[in-house]
Amino acid sequence: MDLKIKRKSTRTVNTSNLLESYPHDLQMYKIPPVEDIRLQEFETLALERLTLLRCLATATTLKGLRIYSDEWKDFVINELRTQGLKYYANLCDMSGCGTNESDLLARRKDHIGHFILRLAYCRTEELRRWFISKELELFKMRFMTMSPKAVEEFFKINQLCYTSISDEEKNELMPYLRESTMHQKIDSLKFYKVKFYEVLDLVKARKVYIQSGYAYIPDKDFISVLSAQYRIHLKQSLAIACHHLGEIEQDERLVGLLKGLHQSYSGNDYSDTKVIIPIESLDSLSVKSFPLCMRQLHEQLRLSHHLKHGGRLQYGLFLKGIGVTLEDSLRFWRDEFTKIMELDKFEKQYAYNVRYNYGKEGSKRNYTAFNCLKIINNNVGPGDCHGCPYRHCDPSNLKNRLKGYGIENQALNDIVDMAKKGHYQIACSKYFDAAHNTDLGLGINHPNQYFEESQKLLNVSNKVEIKKETKIVKKEQTNTIEDMDFDEISEWS
Amino acid sequence: MVSGFAKKNVCKVKEVILINPIYDSFRWLACGNSPQPLSNRELSFTLADDVYIRYLSICDQKEFQNLLQKKCPHKLDIGAVYNNKPSISRHDAVVLARELVFDIDLTDYDEVRTCCQEAKVCDKCWKFMVVACEIIHKSLKDDFGFQNILWVFSGRRGIHCWVSDYEARTLDSPGRAAVADYLCLIIGGDNQNKKVHLGSDNLHSSIRRAVSIIDKYFDDIIQDQEFLGTSSRLQKFLKMIPEDALREQVEKSLEKMSESSLERWKTFISIYDSYLRENGNAIRKIKYLVEEIKIQFCYPRLDVNVTKGFNHLLKSPFSIHPKTGKVSIVFKPNNARNMKLDEIPTIHTLLDDSSPDNVQHQNNMRNAVKNFQEVVFSLEKAEAIRKRNYANTTLDF
Repeated sequence: MDLKIKRKSTRTVNTSNLLESYPHDLQMYKIPPVEDIRLQEFETLALERLTLLRCLATATTLKGLRIYSDEWKDFVINELRTQGLKYYANLCDMSGCGTNESDLLARRKDHIGHFILRLAYCRTEELRRWFISKELELFKMRFMTMSPKAVEEFFKINQLCYTSISDEEKNELMPYLRESTMHQKIDSLKFYKVKFYEVLDLVKARKVYIQSGYAYIPDKDFISVLSAQYRIHLKQSLAIACHHLGEIEQDERLVGLLKGLHQSYSGNDYSDTKVIIPIESLDSLSVKSFPLCMRQLHEQLRLSHHLKHGGRLQYGLFLKGIGVTLEDSLRFWRDEFTKIMELDKFEKQYAYNVRYNYGKEGSKRNYTAFNCLKIINNNVGPGDCHGCPYRHCDPSNLKNRLKGYGIENQALNDIVDMAKKGHYQIACSKYFDAAHNTDLGLGINHPNQYFEESQKLLNVSNKVEIKKETKIVKKEQTNTIEDMDFDEISEWS
Repeated sequence: MVSGFAKKNVCKVKEVILINPIYDSFRWLACGNSPQPLSNRELSFTLADDVYIRYLSICDQKEFQNLLQKKCPHKLDIGAVYNNKPSISRHDAVVLARELVFDIDLTDYDEVRTCCQEAKVCDKCWKFMVVACEIIHKSLKDDFGFQNILWVFSGRRGIHCWVSDYEARTLDSPGRAAVADYLCLIIGGDNQNKKVHLGSDNLHSSIRRAVSIIDKYFDDIIQDQEFLGTSSRLQKFLKMIPEDALREQVEKSLEKMSESSLERWKTFISIYDSYLRENGNAIRKIKYLVEEIKIQFCYPRLDVNVTKGFNHLLKSPFSIHPKTGKVSIVFKPNNARNMKLDEIPTIHTLLDDSSPDNVQHQNNMRNAVKNFQEVVFSLEKAEAIRKRNYANTTLDF
């Protein structure tokens, strides 16, 4: 708190200008800040924004709260207050259009902080994706807490003009609106007609009535239109920011800070391992150190000598991540697949994909292993057995499987319970504890992280030590397969 | 060295090219490309010995014809439209347009169909395709407002759908994903017994419509497939009932009855109805159980990755399937139920005048070409209107 007061006294900010630039608590961040600021403030604002965004991530993944629920929101706001970010707590809690000096100063920081993080997070596809999804969560949360009057003001300021449909049209559509819109008291709501691609999140979840390419949404659902626009805007802005990185990086003082920021966040991506794991040990490793999702795939492969595309991708990249070489990988898949097919068929249809995963075919990218978020949100269709078992198994199947692995009583019930409640990663962490007979309560967010933690516990040998040293530096030219559609990672609850 | 047999094959392939409506295919492609130049569209060939050539492209009809005759591909696949001429060395290529495509394959029905498995198909399981086609077509037209929709038999065990409307072609990947998810009701892999969850709120209009389409065929399909006809199938069915008490009641009654699936289904419905009357509080959990089970049995099972991705190549209409020799004919969605698998023309009967099916297959081939032409004409018309509107709006400025 002290810091803040000091800053206020050293900087004289012209309030009337601020009112013009920041008329509303909620911004679309269309215009970048142009004022000069001190390096120290630059750093503080960046870190504060980062804390805010991480706070959102913690609430969903670590605390397992349902996103946008009241408990989720309360947690975020309390957390912000304890972290000393009262101004963000205020901006998030009751967004409005007050004109107090403290309001205006908070908006200025919000504005500048956002733009600094854009620079830090535009470097790679993965960083961009994380940034966009967190900023969108933030935007949605703030929009939802606004009073109707503030919402109206927001539309006016951002020149968002939409006209509602006529009463006749509404009456005609009434039965359809009633069954397809997820709101109470449809009669009293005003409806608007927008193209279906403006509200993709509603279309995806079948929460809106669409006819002839138009979606009919009540004013409450306008957040969908806005966040879609905001997402596109952010995406483009980050691409532009990335193009201009070169200019910014001429200032060495900023380079260190900006690069440091994203490194301070991003964990390992497991795209480059130095340790070599022989395939002969996979059977025993799968029992000891594989997370359930990978163990299941391994056993399925051994059982039916085949995996469908999604499974091959998920398991193949995981194997690459733990240190199975390309040659071994080819041999591993070949040995299994050729039990049910001709060698020729394998070489023609499947070997390409194995080499592709290792960046030897097609676009020759170095693909990274899937993290939990990706696996949880993956499509799992008929005949598939990839995905996250805590999410993609019926509770009874999950129970039987765990029992078969010797997990019992309390631990078993705990895991199944967590999975039922939708806390898949917590379930996984409990499985880790049960399998290793510990009580670490790790935050699992990557199958390869699970593997490493398990190996660390099981044998504190030199092998693992070496691995750790070589893997801290983050590689930048890695890519995730199927970038598309992965932007919408936030909601799986 | 060319053996006699190979020579004969080459000739055959050339003749097939003559049968194929090259001119119409070309126009369809050209229209689907607009406003990008045709040369930016990726094509790929599969040659006789399974050699696969990607990143091909053509500038005009003549080149198209020459390329086909020179390479004699067994299979022609169509990809996306890029910002540049496709080439293997360009990794910065950006996809600018691509028809919105759907791929429905009967192998995805293996867990429900009982007549065939894997690559096999018969007229019984073809009914799944009829239902799928009707539901998807209706939704694309009524919900999304698309007009230029082409339906193609995939050559063996499935169907493809190409939507060529400008809006569909330029839809971005989140848009495609949303459309695919909107149409996808069956979710879950081998570890989930019940794959359809409709909740307990109102049924969305599109789902209600889909169920009413399924209802038209349901009795027929359940008799064909005998979903509940054996005790193992019955066990599988029972696993879809989440309410223990109801499941036990149903199990007891159905095990005693005759093995007719339709009779068993009817009994299930009446037990379900009376159960709901007696246990009002169970309604939240099983309000749409009947619909959910019908959907799990009959609703279209899309390969969503084909729809979501831009760079998935899909077999061109009027290709010949390398294994079955069947032509990927274009059909009208409202005529799908009258199609018989053995009436679909094959390369062999088309070329063999003495074959007993020759006349009928020739006829069906002609009809398929006509169906294709109709779609091409309507697409050309829509494109012309779009261009005129575009010209008008740009003049205004």
